[in-house]
Amino acid sequence: MNVRKLMLLALAVTVVGSLGLGAQAIKAGFIYVGPIGDYGWTHAHDVARRIVDEKYDWLSTVYVESVPEGEVETYIDQLVRQGCNVIFTTSFGFIDGTYAAAQRYPNVIFAHASGFKRAPNMATYMADFYQVYYLNGLMAGALTKTGKIGYVAAFPIPELKRHISAFTIGVREVNPTAEVHVRWIYEWYNPAAAKEATEALIAEGCDVFAFTEDSPTVIQVAAERGFTSFAHYSPMYVFAPDYVVSGQLVHWEVIYDDFLVKVHNGTYTTKNLAHVDYWWLMAQNAASMGAEMGMPVNPKYVAPLKAFTVNHPQFGRISVYDLVFLRYNQFADPGITFDPFEGPIYDRKGNLVVPKGMWMSYDHLITMEWAARGVVGPWPGEP
Amino acid sequence: MKRLGPFVLERRLAPPRHVVFGVSLLAVVVALLLAALVFWAYGVSPVRAYSEIGRGTLGTVGGLSDIVRRAIPLILCGVGLTLSFRAQFWNIGAEGQLLAGAVAATGVALFVRVPDGFRLPLMFLAGFSAGAVWALIPALLRVKLRVNEVISTLMMNYIMAYIVEWLVHGPWKGPTMRGFAYTDMFPVAARLPYLTGTRIHWPTLVVGVAAAILVALLLARTRLGYEIRVVGQSPDAARYAGINFTTVLALALVVSGGLAALAGVGEVAGVHWRLRSPGHVSMGYGYTAIIVAWLARGSPLAAIFTALLFGLIFAAGDLMKTTLGLPFQITGVFNGLILFSLISSDLLMYWRVRLASKEKAWTGQAGS
Repeated sequence: MNVRKLMLLALAVTVVGSLGLGAQAIKAGFIYVGPIGDYGWTHAHDVARRIVDEKYDWLSTVYVESVPEGEVETYIDQLVRQGCNVIFTTSFGFIDGTYAAAQRYPNVIFAHASGFKRAPNMATYMADFYQVYYLNGLMAGALTKTGKIGYVAAFPIPELKRHISAFTIGVREVNPTAEVHVRWIYEWYNPAAAKEATEALIAEGCDVFAFTEDSPTVIQVAAERGFTSFAHYSPMYVFAPDYVVSGQLVHWEVIYDDFLVKVHNGTYTTKNLAHVDYWWLMAQNAASMGAEMGMPVNPKYVAPLKAFTVNHPQFGRISVYDLVFLRYNQFADPGITFDPFEGPIYDRKGNLVVPKGMWMSYDHLITMEWAARGVVGPWPGEP
Repeated sequence: MKRLGPFVLERRLAPPRHVVFGVSLLAVVVALLLAALVFWAYGVSPVRAYSEIGRGTLGTVGGLSDIVRRAIPLILCGVGLTLSFRAQFWNIGAEGQLLAGAVAATGVALFVRVPDGFRLPLMFLAGFSAGAVWALIPALLRVKLRVNEVISTLMMNYIMAYIVEWLVHGPWKGPTMRGFAYTDMFPVAARLPYLTGTRIHWPTLVVGVAAAILVALLLARTRLGYEIRVVGQSPDAARYAGINFTTVLALALVVSGGLAALAGVGEVAGVHWRLRSPGHVSMGYGYTAIIVAWLARGSPLAAIFTALLFGLIFAAGDLMKTTLGLPFQITGVFNGLILFSLISSDLLMYWRVRLASKEKAWTGQAGS
């Protein structure tokens, strides 16, 4: 073999090599805070992981479940050692570990769910439910007979405060005197505490239930007593087909799909993620309404919702069923024309929190601490 | 003494060191064989599993440093517990004492005005004191009111865990944390340095090893150590010898709780740089340390090695989740099998099997 042939060979190798780099295979690692069997947050992320994993042959995925917050860096180290070039960390508490790892591994792409720290190789993403909670609230307001709706809540953090207030604003839009009674259980997953809280709310006279907890417990306990409820995070229709009205469903796969395709085609690199922040709602189909995929409202509840009409300041006489889908379409429109937190809004202490004609900004939404009018119960950190 | 066919089972009063070591090793091997069955049933080749675990934990710098990092809080809690166990005080409260240290250190890190150079030493000092107080309460309850310490120390854990929960959700919730339940990050002067290239917060490790040596010296060479041992072995003899039961027990628990609290200081200043919900601050180190101290047979120096063994078990569990893709429950099964074997092997150490000698059986002089 002469020198020329050798050089040609070298050139060929270089070309092929660089082509390979241009459309590189992606190994994505997912780090979860809970067990994948929790039927809530972690379960939903894992369902999404499997969907994108099956969809693309250039993508392989691995996951680690039940990772304590302080240990996230250890697991990132191990995933990088295994050859992961994209790593998703799916809990707010992973924020600093992910950020530190992003500094240590500048050639790995990181994405952190629900956080706010970004770097050239670290993006953030979130699929939020506040619009869906508002829609659920409209239905709950129409269905309550006692005027008391029970809400079993995990932790008093802005995310839940935003959701409960959006829910309550929906309730009050169709039922101006109804109340939303809140019980905090200080756990993301604790069926025993959720059961206890639901029973306490039943004793207070609540007859419709919504919740933020990663199990179908609230639905089951309410159904035993013949009370209706709204599912949270995963399809929960099967747990009480006669009593689950609707609920909130998440589709993390639309975010993972978009992100990974952009990494694969070179749009996202380890240099340009400092401003990549997904805040995806119903318009992007990251969040949707329903107790089951493809069932926005349980057919059993269509007639009662159509029968309940209100005199709406904007739309005149309208059934709650029609109002829900009118709002639904407003949210689904990419040029959203309505927001539940449209001013003027007063909190339950009477302070003006959103001035007339204004909407809350992203920063307002993710740091929200106040409680909407109609919320009853303790509210740690209330301004 | 029991006769089983041609064999005789004899009871040993104090098993020699090589027997303890040999039987423990055998127990670990049996546990690994049982775990191999679990791996195999789950569709992972046991050979591959163990070679991956071995390579990932003992075969890399990163793996070794993970073992040491996980062992640090276990050394401190474990050494402290050997002391209370030698005094026959069943301190189940290392978890709460650890959290007490974490709380005190966080208070100093975030809210006390002090020159930067003194901040970390003051955090260790405040942490030690908080843990000492938290351990002293059940000690005094036991001496003065005869309250069972197993119950009281256990309950003190829950109280401290809820105090931590209240602090991070309430008065100490960090303004920069956007409403999430964490304190603000510690200033740089309140963070422990790492050993280069690892995340081993070495000052805590040094404190832990020094504590083990000092407690060993205390037990073996000082009057207080002697009194602690006497109190543990025979409270009546201690009283007869004029040993002040209250003082001795209180001092033992001050050291025991203080050391556990130093582990908590190390966790918040070396790992988290903030206070967060109790289950994430500690991950049950205070409970695991009970087994660390028990396997060390009350020897503070041996506790260093049993703590490292548990660091290895934890690190192996981490690897099983990532490298082998096993569900997290398998990690619990693996840890449980090793523990179960080690604890049940205890029985073997105190019995010896030998061939029955006819003459001795006839004269009836064998055994004890």
